Amino acid sequence: MSGQLRVVHYVNQFFGGIGGEDQAHVGVAAKAGAVGPGRALEKALGDGARVEATLIGGDNFVNERGEEASRAIAAELARLEPDVLVAGPAFGSGRYGLACALVCKVAQAQRVPAITAMHPENPGASAARRGIYIVPTGSSTTSMQAALDALAPLARRLGRGEALGSAEVEGYMPRGARRVHDRGRPGYQRALDMLLDKLHGRPYRSEVPYAAPERVSPAPPIADLSRARIAMVTTGGLVRKGNPDKQVSANAVRYHRHAVAELESLSPQEWEAYHAGYFNHIVNSNPNYILPLSFLRDLERQGKIGRVHEHIYALPGVSTPVAVSVGHGRSIAADLKASGVDGALLVAT
Amino acid sequence: MRLEMGTFPVTDIAFGRTTRYDAGRLTVDRDAVLAAVRQDSRIASAELEIARPGESARIWPVRDVIEPRIKVEGVGVCYPGICGREIATVGEGRTHRLAGMGVVEVSSVNWHDAGGDFVETYLDMSGPYGEMYPYQKLVNLCLVVEPDSTLNEEVKNYAVHKAALTVSDQLGEAVRSLTPPEREVFELTPVDPSLPRVVYIWCVHSPQAMSGSPTAFCTATYGLTQLTPPWYLHPNEILDGALTGPYRTAFAMSWTVANNPLFLDLYRRHGRDWNFLGVISLRTEWTTQTEKQLMANQTAKLAKQLGAQGAVVTWDAGGNEFIEVVRSIQACERLGIKTVFLTSEDDATDGAPTMLEPLPEADAIVSTSFFKNVTLAVPEAPAVSRVIGLPTKIVRRGSTIGLHGGVDGATLPTSGPLPPPWRYDDHYGFGSLSCRE
Repeated sequence: MSGQLRVVHYVNQFFGGIGGEDQAHVGVAAKAGAVGPGRALEKALGDGARVEATLIGGDNFVNERGEEASRAIAAELARLEPDVLVAGPAFGSGRYGLACALVCKVAQAQRVPAITAMHPENPGASAARRGIYIVPTGSSTTSMQAALDALAPLARRLGRGEALGSAEVEGYMPRGARRVHDRGRPGYQRALDMLLDKLHGRPYRSEVPYAAPERVSPAPPIADLSRARIAMVTTGGLVRKGNPDKQVSANAVRYHRHAVAELESLSPQEWEAYHAGYFNHIVNSNPNYILPLSFLRDLERQGKIGRVHEHIYALPGVSTPVAVSVGHGRSIAADLKASGVDGALLVAT
Repeated sequence: MRLEMGTFPVTDIAFGRTTRYDAGRLTVDRDAVLAAVRQDSRIASAELEIARPGESARIWPVRDVIEPRIKVEGVGVCYPGICGREIATVGEGRTHRLAGMGVVEVSSVNWHDAGGDFVETYLDMSGPYGEMYPYQKLVNLCLVVEPDSTLNEEVKNYAVHKAALTVSDQLGEAVRSLTPPEREVFELTPVDPSLPRVVYIWCVHSPQAMSGSPTAFCTATYGLTQLTPPWYLHPNEILDGALTGPYRTAFAMSWTVANNPLFLDLYRRHGRDWNFLGVISLRTEWTTQTEKQLMANQTAKLAKQLGAQGAVVTWDAGGNEFIEVVRSIQACERLGIKTVFLTSEDDATDGAPTMLEPLPEADAIVSTSFFKNVTLAVPEAPAVSRVIGLPTKIVRRGSTIGLHGGVDGATLPTSGPLPPPWRYDDHYGFGSLSCRE
């Protein structure tokens, strides 16, 4: 590619010089040239690259009105036609990190290569890392120069239309696409080499970089339990006696829904467990251990809960891939929500 | 504790009139060995077959592979404690081993009857599936054994593993009074005090919470598999088989435990690269979070009290057990003990983290790739011309999903194309497979 590399830089209201938290509501605006950390970015990018424009968005605006913000950013990118978009670095700032991740996704949807940088535990990295390039940084602005030095060469290459190599080689955060890879040396030798390097304070590289797990915000507490509809979900592998539904004992590809509206409790003559991860005999003698229907019926009679939902959900919670588990969870939750359920008792083993 | 290991390499096995070893060739008196096995009235049937590397042969169901080892000098017996054997502390004196071969325990006996946990391992002596395992390079003497069907599962487990150990002992006797072609001395000698001090935290699964049994199967410590606080083992005890037993994954059967390359290399580099302090063996699959954290704390404390500055950590199990393993790493790091974790990875579909509980303290991980054969995209093993063991195999759960299709619980002929068992899981870094992004 000939000519100057055209870079558009995204920053929040603070780094854009508009103001602090009191200005977090401002919408997306464009300024010509580099602003704030963009000047250092331009320097790090070196000769032949120029920050054409800086897009500035309020953290609250972008996070709370994501669709509106996305449209505005998309319009600016269509106008500016950059070779690459750089967002941040956002360091440990959560809303800024999420905004940077969003802006990268908007850019990529328009076929503009994009890259950002933030701390690995920033929610923008832990929740939105799939499919975007994020360079890991420290948690505060004191690591600005190191962050820009790591980010700039990758941004240049993306801007020139180059494909980046693997995360492990290039240093960006894993994007959720691990593949089998033969390292040519047995695992035991690699482990003992790494031990020796670590003991002697020499650099070493983990083959499984730390990725912070996604956090789920709990639903608010139920205001009035005495009027709430309560459902029961168990991962204890509860099945009808003899397993007529042919539930598997592990690695569940589906969950099972059973009607219990007519039942007072679970009888060992009618129910049992089929689960490869614990001692099933206890449950087979009293299935209420993994689904305490009888106790919920007591609470229902006493008026402590409104009513027990007419269906229960069961699957064996063992060896199931996370992606499949997420799917089961979403589906069960959607079903419960549609049935007007207010709360669910989740019984694990 | 000083142990001299005498190695007798086995290059071929044949049946003959007496059991004897001569220049790599092991002759087995089939009738005498089987007579010893059948002395146990709990055994209903027993047969011996030989499987050689490169043969178009499949062995099913495989519960264990044992390397014959016999105590020649010093107290106790090899593979102590398991199936009623002596529990005298081993690791001193001289031990003879038959290298390059395995005694394969082939039986339909399931692990337990407490819920959906089945024997799934089969071994191929040739082909791409067989080549993924170290057993394919061994000359294997297969004991196809069935117990009295009226016994309970725990007694059946005991009887068939005892039978396999009887075969191992009978072969070991053949080299008791011979001069070993190879000798190696193992001893934790005093070393240069400036060398870093390291322990091996070797986590082994306990089936107690699943099966209700404190002894019947799984890698045992002097015969015990129950949930116990962390053990300190001298590495010589492990060379004499203090950790041993049948297992649900191919890479934690007795042969792989006895030949764990991480353990052996760690020991052989004692005095050169580090001061190896010994092995902490942590039982896993505790039930409550409190128990898991307690075991992690105690493991790290024990390592610290031993003077460890570094630790290498392995494990052999599924999901639940990961918590006490990774929390032990965290606890060690917090006490200033530098850890390296050798582990397989879980399913990465949709960008899921492959560590069940990612912790920032676990910052030095070596991956032995995905633990499931489906995630590894291991193809079906091709048809074979000879089957040792059962003529049919029920194909279950993980192996039937995704890549391999088919119905859970379908019965297939063992000799035909077969999906691999659902788990691969190279626990001790035998191979070079890993993952990367």
